Amino acid sequence: MELSTFLQALITGILMAGIYALVATGLTLIFGVVRIVNFAHGEFVMLGMYVTFWLWKLWGLDPYVSLLITMPLLFCFGVLIQRFLFQPILRAPDLAQIFMTVGLSVILMNVALFLFTADFRSVKVPYGEWAWRLGGVTVLLPRLFAFLGALLLAGVLTLFLTKTDIGKALRAVAQDREVSMLLGINPNRMYLLAVGLGAALAGAAGGLIVPFFYVFPTVGVVFVLIAFVVVILGTLGSVQGALLASLIVGVAESLGILFAGSDLGLVVVFGILVASLIFRPSGLMGSR
Amino acid sequence: MSRNVLLEVEGLSKHFGGVQAVRDLSFQVQAGEILGVIGPNGSGKTTTFHLITGFHRPDRGHVRFNGEEITGLPPHAVCARGLCRTFQVAKPFPDISVRRNVLMGALLRRPDPTDAAGRADEVLRRVGLESRADMAAGSLTTIDQRRLEVARALATEPKLLLLDETMAGLNATEVVEAIKLISTLREQGLTVIVVEHVMRAVMSLSDRLVVLDQGARIAEGAPKEVVENPRVIEAYLGKEYRRA
Amino acid sequence: MPAQIEARSASFRLTPDRYVPALFLAFLLVLPYLLPNPFYVHIVVMMAIYVMLGGAWNILSGYAGQLSLGHAAFFGTGAYVSTLLVNHYGISPWITLWFGGAAALALSLPIGFICFRLQGPYFTIATIGLAEALRLLVLHFREITNGAQGLTVPFKGNAPWLLQFDSKMPYYYIALALAAGVLLVTWRMERSRLGHYLVAIGQNQDAAEALGIDSTRAKARALMLSAFLMGLGGVFYAQYTYVIDPDGAFGLGLSIQVALVAIVGGVGTILGPAIGAVILEFFIQSTQILLAGQYAGLELMVYGGLLVAVILWRPRGVYSWFERMYTRILSWLPSFGRTRA
Repeated sequence: MELSTFLQALITGILMAGIYALVATGLTLIFGVVRIVNFAHGEFVMLGMYVTFWLWKLWGLDPYVSLLITMPLLFCFGVLIQRFLFQPILRAPDLAQIFMTVGLSVILMNVALFLFTADFRSVKVPYGEWAWRLGGVTVLLPRLFAFLGALLLAGVLTLFLTKTDIGKALRAVAQDREVSMLLGINPNRMYLLAVGLGAALAGAAGGLIVPFFYVFPTVGVVFVLIAFVVVILGTLGSVQGALLASLIVGVAESLGILFAGSDLGLVVVFGILVASLIFRPSGLMGSR
Repeated sequence: MSRNVLLEVEGLSKHFGGVQAVRDLSFQVQAGEILGVIGPNGSGKTTTFHLITGFHRPDRGHVRFNGEEITGLPPHAVCARGLCRTFQVAKPFPDISVRRNVLMGALLRRPDPTDAAGRADEVLRRVGLESRADMAAGSLTTIDQRRLEVARALATEPKLLLLDETMAGLNATEVVEAIKLISTLREQGLTVIVVEHVMRAVMSLSDRLVVLDQGARIAEGAPKEVVENPRVIEAYLGKEYRRA
Repeated sequence: MPAQIEARSASFRLTPDRYVPALFLAFLLVLPYLLPNPFYVHIVVMMAIYVMLGGAWNILSGYAGQLSLGHAAFFGTGAYVSTLLVNHYGISPWITLWFGGAAALALSLPIGFICFRLQGPYFTIATIGLAEALRLLVLHFREITNGAQGLTVPFKGNAPWLLQFDSKMPYYYIALALAAGVLLVTWRMERSRLGHYLVAIGQNQDAAEALGIDSTRAKARALMLSAFLMGLGGVFYAQYTYVIDPDGAFGLGLSIQVALVAIVGGVGTILGPAIGAVILEFFIQSTQILLAGQYAGLELMVYGGLLVAVILWRPRGVYSWFERMYTRILSWLPSFGRTRA
């Protein structure tokens, strides 16, 4: 195999890692604040993709521009989900949580299937084929844009969480719900915010990849599973861990596709999870 | 009279993040005695329990039980060797009956559930819970939940029992009852380590005391001596109270 | 003399709690002959299959609260191993039944080893992921598994030694026997030390560990049993429907259905899966009739909705309600036999 092919896969993996990190961040945000492991998170990505697609299809809106619509829309959706589906089961045992989010996932997937059919959709944008060619390596610019977009959003989120009062309130609730209540923070509002933000980030991830990714109803499953591996591998709760893990996972998936075939990408990712659980159960950042 | 060492803790250390919770802790427990472990809040008493019983792995140090090295063994293995603990915040099995809770402990030494049930009933009687045997454990009062903790641990037929703040929040009568119960345990050949804040109880129960402060042992000996120890007083009350 | 009379009269007493189950059992045995056409027999066969699968799932997930949503992996493994053996080597399914179960059991060892390192929802998602990964692998190695087209059992007409029959009746009785077997195994397990330990682990794993319970080992054993029974179910299903494919046999949809059976009926109980299976199959058939298979995804959407609804309003399942109803009905029924004067 040529070096350039290998490098190509490496770069693709790194660029995709940004998206995985964004999705994983949304997942962690929801878990950290609301304590719900949201299996339907992939469907937020899927919905973001469909919103972006239809805005393009019906009104010719550029995918990146439509982020301005997609993100608020998904934010509201997340808020509704929290208010009506998650709120009732906050105190319920694990079984309720898991089956609620899995049930939600199935519903959303099949609503999409019902409304939009199983057809694979894609958008055609003028910059869809733009690429840089360096040596034998081709960097597809939409992928680069998606990576940069993810980076930007992550940066904005970090600023929000560290510099604004609301952001700090969010982190307070994540750390200690009782104490933050004593400080006058309304946890229920923070829950709504967290799920809204998590959904918005996932939707943004979806919107960012539409220029080079097919849109179909079950596209979300892969994302939530990969995000989950990133979160576990990166050690629950560690931001640096998640970043490092998403790099590893992104590259592993890409190389896996290169060596094992495009249908086994997820298998490779789960192989990483298995290896991590066997050799480093508490994740990259944890003490053995 | 030969005294043999049942439990030996040597050089135990553990840190969490930046905090050294237990530092270089060593002490011994003789068979048949009641050892009290006291110290101000945050002195590492419960962490020590966790380290001994396998809920945390020590960074350094050894734990030996009956001459056997048990450092770092998982909790179930520690219990199987005869070292059983209760939890500071009671952890009952909430949705099942008190009797069945205790049964879970009895099954360790008596794999046949019918046989274990007999042992469970016996323990329930000893601890005074037989009238509430069929209640769901989650609906018990706090003191009864404490009793249940002890009962479950007793059902495993331990040689050494570690009681973690069993008396917290009990009223005077209940404390007297608890002291009586623990004393009878010793009469039946059990060795007990008691972590306590309720001074009256731990003073009257313990043969010896070990005092912890900020993760280290600062005193050890008979209760009367330890209580007079200036370092101990300082640890609890601060420097101003140190007697000249 | 009075003592003798007393002894004789006390010996025969037919109370409702004895004859109702016996009548029900008899009813089950003649049920297929009471049904108007084979379609209805098919429905009860499916019910029996779901009892089996839900019961198998219940052993680990119902009792110990370790919610697996990847049980299809065991079902599919049993189905594929058995069908491959039957097709390639002509071995009788009566024998490959046990191979299928054994293969599923073998699979449960690494899966348990990996997944039991995770707790709560993370455990569940790991099971989902591993089943998904297995499905992708089965799709990928199409030289062995025939890929997306799946495997078919060649139709041989009436061939009992190949577990193939002309009418649905024998299938019904085999399914009934298998289902009864699973319930019986559950009953034995529930009363054993393992059964108690699983409940303890489900209630509070730390407390269980502190009492000497090796939770990993107990969970592993429960999983092995659960997987084995699931594998048997897969084999039987393959023989009954003659066709298996990766999406159906290894898919998340099946894993959810299996879990739903136990949840709707009542987790951690022996009869819960049985009740749930009847309800669920009823539900499935109704939605299929109402929607007439027209709209893609509508059916699964309804499952998802059912899942959400059950979680919101009846997370413990209908078992306790059922038990109360049953006890009440029993109290209305007469008893027979001589009573003491």
